[in-house]
Amino acid sequence: MSVAGNDLSRRGKTAETRVEMCSVRVGQGLYGVPITYILEIVGKARPQPVPLAPGFVGGLVHYRGDVLTTVSLRQLLGMPPKDGPQDILVLENAGGAMGLLVDSVGEVLTASSLEYEPNPSILDERRRALFAGAYKLKDSLLVMLDPEKLDPMRLSGSVAA
Amino acid sequence: MDDLTREFLIESQEGLDRMERCLTELESKPSDMGLLADIFRTVHTIKGTTGFLGFKRLEKLAHSGENLLGLLRDGKLAADGSVITGLLQLQDGLRSILRSIETEASEGEDTDAALIARLEELQAPAMAAQHGRGRSGHVAGPAVMDPAPAAAENRAPTSAESAATPGPEAAVAPESAIAPASLTAKQEKEPGTDAGKARSVPAGAAAESTLRVDVTLLNRMMNLVGELVLTRNQVLQATSGQPNLTMLSRRLDMVTSDLRESVMKARMQPVSNIFSKMPRIVRDLSQSLGKRVRLQMEGQETELDKSLLEAIKDPLTHAVRNSLDHGIEDPDTRDRAGKDPEGLLKLRAVQEGSHVIIEVADDGAGIAVEKVRVKAIERGLITKERAERLLERELLQLLFLPGFSTAAAVTNVSGRGVGMDVVRTNVEKIGGKVEIDSKPGKGTTLRLRIPLTLAIIPALIVRSVEQSFAVPQGALSELVHIPPEQAASAIEWMEGAPLYRLRGKLLPLVFLDRLLMPDVEHRQVTEQDKFIAVLNADGRQFGLVVDGLADPEEIVVKPLSAVLKSIGLYSGATVLGNADLALILDPGAIAVKAGVTISSEEQGRQSGEEETGEQAGKSLEYLLVEAAERKSAVPLGDVLRIEQLKVSRIEYIGYRPVLNFEGHLLPVEDSGGVLAAVQHDPEAQIIVVVCREGNRHVGIAVSHVLDVASGGDLFEAGTGKQAAGVTLLKNSVTGVVDLGAVAPLPVGEQATSEWDQMTEAAR
Repeated sequence: MSVAGNDLSRRGKTAETRVEMCSVRVGQGLYGVPITYILEIVGKARPQPVPLAPGFVGGLVHYRGDVLTTVSLRQLLGMPPKDGPQDILVLENAGGAMGLLVDSVGEVLTASSLEYEPNPSILDERRRALFAGAYKLKDSLLVMLDPEKLDPMRLSGSVAA
Repeated sequence: MDDLTREFLIESQEGLDRMERCLTELESKPSDMGLLADIFRTVHTIKGTTGFLGFKRLEKLAHSGENLLGLLRDGKLAADGSVITGLLQLQDGLRSILRSIETEASEGEDTDAALIARLEELQAPAMAAQHGRGRSGHVAGPAVMDPAPAAAENRAPTSAESAATPGPEAAVAPESAIAPASLTAKQEKEPGTDAGKARSVPAGAAAESTLRVDVTLLNRMMNLVGELVLTRNQVLQATSGQPNLTMLSRRLDMVTSDLRESVMKARMQPVSNIFSKMPRIVRDLSQSLGKRVRLQMEGQETELDKSLLEAIKDPLTHAVRNSLDHGIEDPDTRDRAGKDPEGLLKLRAVQEGSHVIIEVADDGAGIAVEKVRVKAIERGLITKERAERLLERELLQLLFLPGFSTAAAVTNVSGRGVGMDVVRTNVEKIGGKVEIDSKPGKGTTLRLRIPLTLAIIPALIVRSVEQSFAVPQGALSELVHIPPEQAASAIEWMEGAPLYRLRGKLLPLVFLDRLLMPDVEHRQVTEQDKFIAVLNADGRQFGLVVDGLADPEEIVVKPLSAVLKSIGLYSGATVLGNADLALILDPGAIAVKAGVTISSEEQGRQSGEEETGEQAGKSLEYLLVEAAERKSAVPLGDVLRIEQLKVSRIEYIGYRPVLNFEGHLLPVEDSGGVLAAVQHDPEAQIIVVVCREGNRHVGIAVSHVLDVASGGDLFEAGTGKQAAGVTLLKNSVTGVVDLGAVAPLPVGEQATSEWDQMTEAAR
């Protein structure tokens, strides 16, 4: 396989282990988020839009007494916005808690780290910045998201640039 | 007992507790330098503080202990049993004095000589340890006994109980274990009980009645209470139509309010925390300026949220500096003016409703209004024509413009033109207000109005772009409703700039929807209801045009993530009673974004408007109201707000109608008989005009609020005397409501019987 992974994720290096991740669906794609980052899953939420906010901001949701900024995965992947309620993965990364707005949250999958492949080189710049490789499932690819890179503050820097 | 002493007692007792632990630990690890350093620090701190507080006996005892500990710490002496015994005795001795200070506010009789001698003896070089140990038996007896008599008499009021219950065994253990074998059983018992009491008595007092709490925990509690307030708001809205839940939701409402208040109280600190810094500043400054100033402070116990206290520290210091530098004259000038050569600077803090007022008043030269006028023209802050028309109070407002300073010379204290505007900006940032008042030759008073808390603020909920937004009430000065048929004509355009004529003056407008959705093509103002919220932020006044208004709400401010904060328009977010999220608008940032500036014309107009109604002798503005088909006028300057409510909200104490605003009772004046007219219908809406009368608030029940108009003077025919109690409004003679005549509610202790009588009467 002609995979020149110049963007090796640190997750990929931990060989021979089972990795658990939560699968999420956006459009036709299946994506994975390491469960260690997930605080909670909020179903059927309607985030409050924030006028003048950067495009990737999915709006605000009320989460356990705090107001959480959400990031829309659809927007990040350049897909048209979706009407109606969406599911939110509440993630905790270095920048604090944030919400990831996805079409729907699927089951928790376990994959062997041996099935891991880093990002392929033909991936476009924007996706390469978000993805952390993929796991080869039996019948599809599970594209891993890097929660650290989903931090709104980092996104505002990279999207603007 | 003052706060300083109380804090000292708590700290010292904590220190002694720690010392005791360290001492017992030291016994097993005699060479542990960390423990020794800790013990030394405790005694050293006590010594240092007592010197400052003037407790001589305590200082002497701590001093001798410190000497001994110094040797130990420096390794010149080994911490053997006798030394530790001595140190524990020292600790008991210190405790007994502390207890005496706490219960009797005095140190008690000095009986420490033997203990001090013992401590000095222990300082004998380590090589004589054997010798010292031999003697310690003799000396230890009296030394241990020593604190007992003093302690016994000091303890008299509380001792009965603690004497009956012997000291806990654990507490006795270190003493008796260390005490040399030569001690008699009796002697051994003495220090034992002594130590037991020493621990139990203060434990029941200052040390346990207060608790130090981590600020982060308090913040968390505040957050949770905020959450509860939100839930309560939602419950209240959801249950409003269900009578069987009314009692429950009312109770929830009450408990939540109480809880909120308690948690807020826990965050409160007395203003003395910042006031106490002032004497030093005043002393240093007055010396360097060659002035003589006496500082007088009042209301130091007034409490304010910790974060707010921090925030006003700088503005307050600035104000004090200003007063000293520009306000108070040097002694010669004062003498010539027939004033006391020593100037007086008064700092006063007082709570007024949900605000704390902090006043900085000097009896100096006051502000030369003419100088302000000249300077303002000179600096190009205002046109000449405009300046000549300005009134005194309006001119004083100019002081808050950036780049204004009347100081003849720039000193290193102040006068570089970055003065009052900074004070104002800082105070407004925390939702406060600054007022200035000055009488030439008599002095200047600067008044800072600070809200009690920041976390929960009253806000007006507005609707725009199909969302709710919260506008802090602090920035809101009035609301204007434009009915649909007038929407197009009421808003005038000057080269694309929307303006509104507010009582004859042009007010720049900002359309919230256009501001928030700049990409969307906005048609000309559509024929629908428009509301203008007249906002005042950082000296910029503008009208925010919104599509709708909801009820004002107490909102809990939630921080926004950095990425949203960087948009610059929102200061936070909140959850509304209907569980909707709302962004909190930052009026100052909107003004900047929309390009509303503090132009000279605008400033003049704005201050003119602010002051209208307060100018004595000038035409006052009145709120024209109708009560039972009779028109009367209320001075607009006194009107705080207008409430529309169901008549059933009015409750009665005896025969007196009152309104309960979250525990604040508002007497309602009903001379027009409005209440009586609609009493049969509990659903009927009435209007209560809430006014300020002196320090209290009063409500006036009216059936309609008609208009705002400026009143004309009326004179008695013949005498030409100005008529009192009436004014000429819209060419008809209108009676002015005498707010002073509204009888005060019975308050205070002496009034309780009156309350009883009235409630009796009500039954």
